[in-house]
Amino acid sequence: MSTAGTSGPVLVELDEELWSDWRDRIAAWLGNVTMTQSTFRRMAGDTAEKISEPHIKRYLTEIAEEAGRHEQKIDDLYRIIGRQASGGRRLGAAAMSRVQQVMGQLVGKAGGAPRAEWNLLRQLLPVNLDSIGAFSTAQQLGLALGLHEFAESIFPIVRRKEEHQLLIMEFMLEMGPQAILYRGGV
Amino acid sequence: MSVRTAQIAARAVERLPTLVRPKVDPGDVVVPDGYAVEACVLGLSFPTGMGFADDGSLFVLEGGSTWPTRPYLPARILRFHPEKGRIEQFATEVLGGPRGVAYRDGAIYVSVKGGYFTHIDRYDLVTRERETVVDGLPNGGWHEPGGPVFGPDGLMYFAQGSVSQNGVALPQGFTVDLAKHPRAHDVPGQDVTLTGNDVWSRDPIAPFPFLTRTGAFKPFGEPSQPGEVVRGQLKCSSGLWRSRPDGSGLELLAWGLRNPYGMVFGEDGELYVSDNDYEEKGERAIAMDPDRLWRIGNVHRPHGSVETPEWYGFPDFAGDGLPVWHDKHRPTKGQAAEPLIENPPPMAGPAVYLAPPHSCMTKMDFCRSDEFGHRGLLFQCQWGTLAPLNSPRPEDLTHGFNVTCVDVKSSEAFPFMHNPQPGPASRHPGRGGIERPVDCKFSPDGQSLYVLDFGVVKVTEGYLLSYGHTGVLWRVTRR
Repeated sequence: MSTAGTSGPVLVELDEELWSDWRDRIAAWLGNVTMTQSTFRRMAGDTAEKISEPHIKRYLTEIAEEAGRHEQKIDDLYRIIGRQASGGRRLGAAAMSRVQQVMGQLVGKAGGAPRAEWNLLRQLLPVNLDSIGAFSTAQQLGLALGLHEFAESIFPIVRRKEEHQLLIMEFMLEMGPQAILYRGGV
Repeated sequence: MSVRTAQIAARAVERLPTLVRPKVDPGDVVVPDGYAVEACVLGLSFPTGMGFADDGSLFVLEGGSTWPTRPYLPARILRFHPEKGRIEQFATEVLGGPRGVAYRDGAIYVSVKGGYFTHIDRYDLVTRERETVVDGLPNGGWHEPGGPVFGPDGLMYFAQGSVSQNGVALPQGFTVDLAKHPRAHDVPGQDVTLTGNDVWSRDPIAPFPFLTRTGAFKPFGEPSQPGEVVRGQLKCSSGLWRSRPDGSGLELLAWGLRNPYGMVFGEDGELYVSDNDYEEKGERAIAMDPDRLWRIGNVHRPHGSVETPEWYGFPDFAGDGLPVWHDKHRPTKGQAAEPLIENPPPMAGPAVYLAPPHSCMTKMDFCRSDEFGHRGLLFQCQWGTLAPLNSPRPEDLTHGFNVTCVDVKSSEAFPFMHNPQPGPASRHPGRGGIERPVDCKFSPDGQSLYVLDFGVVKVTEGYLLSYGHTGVLWRVTRR
């Protein structure tokens, strides 16, 4: 920062060394945002492929596409804080997506829903919720440090992801009897 | 405990890392001729109040969870030594955070918003031992504790605003009320009979946002019945009390104060209280209600003798003394209000001073110094509007954002400290002036007026966002 004059104020937690450290910590958290969102985007795409019901298939395909756009916006967040994204977390997301799909199948089958589609749909809920939490936490970091472009660019993303959560929940509930009582697919 | 600080040799500071407030420049602040402004402290997070100790050190409160409640940043009580330019962390408060502080006989007394209940803590300045002296003031909702302040009688005076925004607990702001305190509700200070004019709204915490009905003085989703009597409580919401400094002898002097954030005794021995207007939005919307300054009459009664508290209008009357369902207060945004209380008690007042709607009057101090000038005038912070969130009227967009001088004898007022252009500095790119003045206090020597600036708050029609590390402590002196 530049200064002018002869006598000046006391700065509380505004020095460059501290802020460099804080930016590093935000960058580390953005790695989590990347991993959770990339996991959700992959799972939404995989689930859409497996579903045959045309309405749900279409909505999920759109959600997966929008999830990809949200994932790309994370690069802008890195830019605002002057840091670079690491590719490692996206690779981790590929593995995490597979783990989540397997977990969804195991839990669903144990509960009497043998078909893969509905179990994947249900598993999208905690995965998207995790991603919503990751984005929202990043927004709080931006608010805490007066980074308005950072914080305010996250707001519409979280809003859309909340809408997606509601939609996925509706389809999961709507198709629950079909999956459990009739042991059918989606 | 230390706080990470640095002092720089500069009057104006640019390129701060807080990009929403990159510049702080006293040259962009307007005060009357003959006065000078400087910035003393930068980087405060959500500061809410301050108070001087007898040694000239200034306790500054960082509010923790404020307006809105996210994000929380440490709810610290800082101690600033102006002569040395040094700041230390005196204590940290619980979630909800500190709101007001007063010094008395080697201790500070701090009001804390808390969760479902507001409380007042006493800190010994030598041992730093904390003791809660008053607890259980109904809260968990929107409005703030007032005070504490000490009267000429040595008693402690304090207040607590209403739980609901406009008289009924409604989902006005999900994170502030229903998510954290779904059972919070207003409590009257006297027995009241309800009209049963309940309010219908959507319930955002239901599996679907079902329509639900809520009555006055009830938690959200709980209806009332016409003719139902709700018993008054000593510990009510919208109340104002006094007690001995140890919390004993608690006495309710007034209720019906919506948001009595600012409290101060004048040299005339009177207690003055600021109070904020209703909001023009939602399912019980009220338009054109002025912010107001009250003079509390019951102060002059002997301690322990007040049997009937004065009533200042909440939830059925506006600051101008008119009922909230009067044509003048009919909203253009939201649903008009109906009476909640059958045969309400007589309303106290009238107000000493009325400010434009949504000026958001906050804390204040009287000038007791001939050296500073304007002796006897009330210096009153106006935090600034939350329009367009709480009012659809274009004229409300610029109300507040200044320190106003009020003559409590004549009710005349003039802005003492403000920006060259209306609104906060952040609304005008390149400007480094004030954002939202929340408290002002004269130094014990009477030479300086300190003005605490909350920092940047961005408001839209649907929400507001507050930014940490953007608070500033200003000082005004006479040249």
